[in-house]
Amino acid sequence: RSSNWNGGYSFSSSSASFAVAVVMKIIKHYQEEGQGSEVVQGVLLGLVVDDRLEITNCFPFPQHTEDDADFDEVQYQMEMMRSLRHVNIDHLHVGWYQSTFYGSFVSRALLDSQFSYQHAIEESVVLIYDPIKTAQGSLSLKAYRLTPKLMEICKEKDFTPEGLKKASIGFENMFEEVPIVIKNSHLINVLMWELEDKSTVADKHELLNLSSSNHLEKSLQLLMDRVDDMSQEIVKYNTYSRNLSKQQQQKHQYLQRRQQENAQRQSRGEAPLPEEDISKLFKPPQPPPRMDSLLIAGQINNYCQNVKEFTSQNLGKLFMAEALQGQN
Amino acid sequence: MSRFFATGSDSESEESSSADEITPKAPGTTLKQSLLLSDDEEDTKRVVRSAKDKRFEELTNLIKTIRNAMKIRDMAKCLEEFEQLCRAFLKSKNIVDKEGVPSFYIRLLADLEDYLNQLWEDKDGKKKMNKNNAKALSTLRQKIRKYNRDFETEIAAYKEVSRKSFLPPLTCSSSESEGEAGGVSAKSFLKKKPDEASKSSSSGEDDDDDDDDEGWSGESKESDSESSDGEAKRQSMAESFLKYVLFLILTFKTWESRKHIEEEEEDGGEEGGEGWEKVKYGVPLEKPKMFAKGTEINTTVVVKKLNEILQARGKKGTDRAAQIELLHALAAIAAEHNLGQGILVKIKFNIIASLYDYNPNLAAFMKADMWKKCLECIDELLDILFENNNIFIGENIAEDSENLAVSDQPFRVRGCVLTLVERMDEEFTKIMQNTDPHSQEYVDNLKDEGRVCGIVDRLLTYLENKGSTEEICRVYLRRIMHTYYKFDYKAHRRSLGLQGETKSEQDQEESEGEDSALIMDRLCKFIYAKDRTDRIRTCAILCHIYHHALHSRWYQARDLMLMSHLQDNIHHSDPPVQILYNRTMVQLGICAFRQGMIKDAHNALLDIQSSGRAKELLGQGLLMRNMQERNAEQEKIEKRRQVPFHMHINLELLECVYLVSAMLLEIPYMAAHEFDARRRMISKQFHHQLRVGERQPLLGPPESMREHVVAASKAMKMGDWRTCHSFIINEKMNSKVWDLFPETQRVREMLVRKIQEESLRTYLFTYSSVYDSISMEILSEMFQLEMPTVHSIISKMIINEELMASLDQPTQTVVMHRTEPTSLQNMALQLAEKLGSLVENNERVFDLKQGVYGGYFNRDQKGGYQQKQGGYQGGYQGGYQGGYQRGGYRNQNQSNY
Repeated sequence: RSSNWNGGYSFSSSSASFAVAVVMKIIKHYQEEGQGSEVVQGVLLGLVVDDRLEITNCFPFPQHTEDDADFDEVQYQMEMMRSLRHVNIDHLHVGWYQSTFYGSFVSRALLDSQFSYQHAIEESVVLIYDPIKTAQGSLSLKAYRLTPKLMEICKEKDFTPEGLKKASIGFENMFEEVPIVIKNSHLINVLMWELEDKSTVADKHELLNLSSSNHLEKSLQLLMDRVDDMSQEIVKYNTYSRNLSKQQQQKHQYLQRRQQENAQRQSRGEAPLPEEDISKLFKPPQPPPRMDSLLIAGQINNYCQNVKEFTSQNLGKLFMAEALQGQN
Repeated sequence: MSRFFATGSDSESEESSSADEITPKAPGTTLKQSLLLSDDEEDTKRVVRSAKDKRFEELTNLIKTIRNAMKIRDMAKCLEEFEQLCRAFLKSKNIVDKEGVPSFYIRLLADLEDYLNQLWEDKDGKKKMNKNNAKALSTLRQKIRKYNRDFETEIAAYKEVSRKSFLPPLTCSSSESEGEAGGVSAKSFLKKKPDEASKSSSSGEDDDDDDDDEGWSGESKESDSESSDGEAKRQSMAESFLKYVLFLILTFKTWESRKHIEEEEEDGGEEGGEGWEKVKYGVPLEKPKMFAKGTEINTTVVVKKLNEILQARGKKGTDRAAQIELLHALAAIAAEHNLGQGILVKIKFNIIASLYDYNPNLAAFMKADMWKKCLECIDELLDILFENNNIFIGENIAEDSENLAVSDQPFRVRGCVLTLVERMDEEFTKIMQNTDPHSQEYVDNLKDEGRVCGIVDRLLTYLENKGSTEEICRVYLRRIMHTYYKFDYKAHRRSLGLQGETKSEQDQEESEGEDSALIMDRLCKFIYAKDRTDRIRTCAILCHIYHHALHSRWYQARDLMLMSHLQDNIHHSDPPVQILYNRTMVQLGICAFRQGMIKDAHNALLDIQSSGRAKELLGQGLLMRNMQERNAEQEKIEKRRQVPFHMHINLELLECVYLVSAMLLEIPYMAAHEFDARRRMISKQFHHQLRVGERQPLLGPPESMREHVVAASKAMKMGDWRTCHSFIINEKMNSKVWDLFPETQRVREMLVRKIQEESLRTYLFTYSSVYDSISMEILSEMFQLEMPTVHSIISKMIINEELMASLDQPTQTVVMHRTEPTSLQNMALQLAEKLGSLVENNERVFDLKQGVYGGYFNRDQKGGYQQKQGGYQGGYQGGYQGGYQRGGYRNQNQSNY
């Protein structure tokens, strides 16, 4: 297939492989259009080979502006893919990508769109690109897929506490990460070697930057916001369960009274009271949807991972710096 | 009259023509009348007559043209003529003054108004009218309305009589026999009777006026025409006819008796009875009208008369003005005949009461001149009371146990001078409330305040000798109410020791008087001791505090406020007292500010200012926004509660004082708690102002007082006291705010000092992190403060753990300790807090599942978390308590649940 010219790659369908061009395109897209916490998105193209997903190309979604509200995204995608087919590029839709701001991506929107992708094309993945980490010197790309369990729940749209409990789903097993392999053509590898030779020492040692508080602060702030949300969710759930138990009690009392009365009536030889629909008398309170709290938990987990990763790296750096200082 | 007009215009033409016809004949009628008049009376009138005739002729001619114009609906002409008529009437003013308003004039006014109203109602007709006419109609209608207001009573009287005026024909026949009995020929009687009747109709006219004839003749003709169709009506009205007849006879007889016949005296005496007082209007100057000539005027007669007059009081259709006149006349008579002070006092009481009655409803305010009359009357009354020590007055003296006659016994009179004075004072307040505070009129009215005070003072001295304690308390409160809000400049100057040289004689004389502080003290203490009604004492306390505060006696004022415990129960008192309380609190706050007690000032003003309804709370105006919430009735009540303008507290001053105090407190606090996520606002309003300032896209130089404060706050945030100072104290702010204080200079100095100190604190809070150490000398130079002051401020900060530093004595430097958490650490602390609450919430869910509240949940109580609770609840007084207080956060969290 034509994709081969771009470089070879081999992964199972439980893994995704990238052409480096895709990576470059995504990075370029963010550099050009995304700033700060703004998010850029795009479509991944490629094909499934054996049990691998090969991603060979991508194109960005245009940035939405206020004045073209009637812009048809689907139409645009179809147009784009058709055009790509004309120039003989892979045009199979295999997923989408999205940039992230300090690792915040677990959201309802992502869940919904990934669900619809995966519903249509089973193999499709969402690729999360972290520009900030990348800017600090380590490329951060992650591919995720919804777990089959979550897919089922989403299909049934059953987000009640009971539903989630039955599916025994937690924030840990909502997404599964798909391992990524980036394949370069040999020519590119050669270029890389050459570039490394040429680059100055300072460029290389970006990694050793010790100033960390800014990143940490941001992460903490975001984490705090999520924690607040989480608290709210919990309070909501708390009131719900309290209401529920109160109602249960009332129901119980009511039934007991009813029974007593019936017993009395029987002893007096009267007909028992007619049966009434209890569920009508006591309408159970609306259970709060739990999906949001799941997502928040997932996001918190994500942040924590980020912070952990970051701090462990930084600690290493600090020790290194200390050692250096000691030597001098 | 209107109904005649409505029935048809025939009579109208007749009437107008007759008026015309009769005019030339006027001298003739005079001749006839002159036969009946005594010579001396004749003489006084004769001089005037020709001029009067001329004037009146002019008027009648004009009236005729107006009537013609009315008939052809020529409004433009009507308007023109009416204006001319007004001018002509004005010209003949001196005659009118002497003679009273001629009846034909009144008649025209009444008719014209009715006619215009009728036209106005007639929409179709109005549409048909051409533009010119329609315009003239509306103008004329407006004019006549305004004009007629001056003749209200006369017109009303005229209308009343015109309604009855179809009576005469019947009267003629029935009264003829009576007339004969009276010994006068029927003819002359007939001639005279209309004359008398016209008197009753015009009611403002002099009896000897020959124009009466003319005025009446038209009317009587009309009544003739009316009577021809009014057979049935006559029957139905029979009863009132009889009354009327009787009345005519009586009046006639009176007139006769005045001439020659002495035997009819008794009738004359009773003339005023039965609600026919109107006849007497305009007469009062001639006292024989009141009492038949030759009656021996003694106390009983006068009292009887007085009661007669009073019986009419409150009845419908009673002319209040006339009543007052009558009472005055009666007083004059009593005085003339030396009936003693008792009766005079009695009459005075009633005069004042009727003056108050003059206004129909309670809500409206008295006219200033009416009120002034009342003032004079009270003054006179007090004169009498002072001169005569043997008069007892009191509300509890029964009517029949009164002793008014001159005898050895002391006089006993029913009535309460205090109530009258209180009412007078209230009316004064009402007048002030209803006068535009920016007009000269207000100033003029305000000048009377001195007189009110004078009267209150006199009453006070009077009651001190004679009144009960209760009354004394009441009058004391009046006195206090007139004193508490006035700044005592004399005492102020004296305390400054400026007495003497520069002052004029008068000033010196004034300054001889007692200090208002002493007066207040004396009066209030009396009330505290003697008063038994809670309200008077509350008011007295509040006024006392207000007065203290106004004169910068802060500690006395504060102590009194705290001792009285008014804060606890003021909510149960009535709105005026609450308004007084608010005023007092505000004054207290301003006083604290002047004394440099910024925190106290802020606390005192917080309640009033934070609501944003200071204007309403102080009774200095109604807020527009809740117009929908209240109806007209409530609005009226609220309006009555308003404080007159001269007692207002300057709202801008108030707000400025509040904002500046808030700035002095809040800015250092903000600087100290920059990283504290849960810091509390000291003053919401101040923050609001700051936000408003921040929202401005373009920041120009400050204009308003608020902008000045905001700009100053910004400067202070940077620790730049000089800029801050220049924003707070400058020309604009001086003229707007600071110059309003009595001790301007001292306040400004205090303010500068405070700004320096607080700026220093702010500076240290904000920039301590960039210093390792800082010399106190430099600080002292930077903030223009003496070394010891700087030293003490820094020491205090260190003691309060606001500043992590220590003082190095030998080098005079402050050495900073790095204990402040970095922002990251702060963040981490916050996160820990949040996680704590999260865990707690989670545990609740867990507990619910378990059905038991226990286990984890109790951990809190056992732990040391809550032990520090007390300190933080106290608010900012506790100040900044150091860097790491998990407990503190925890507590705040818990209070949220």
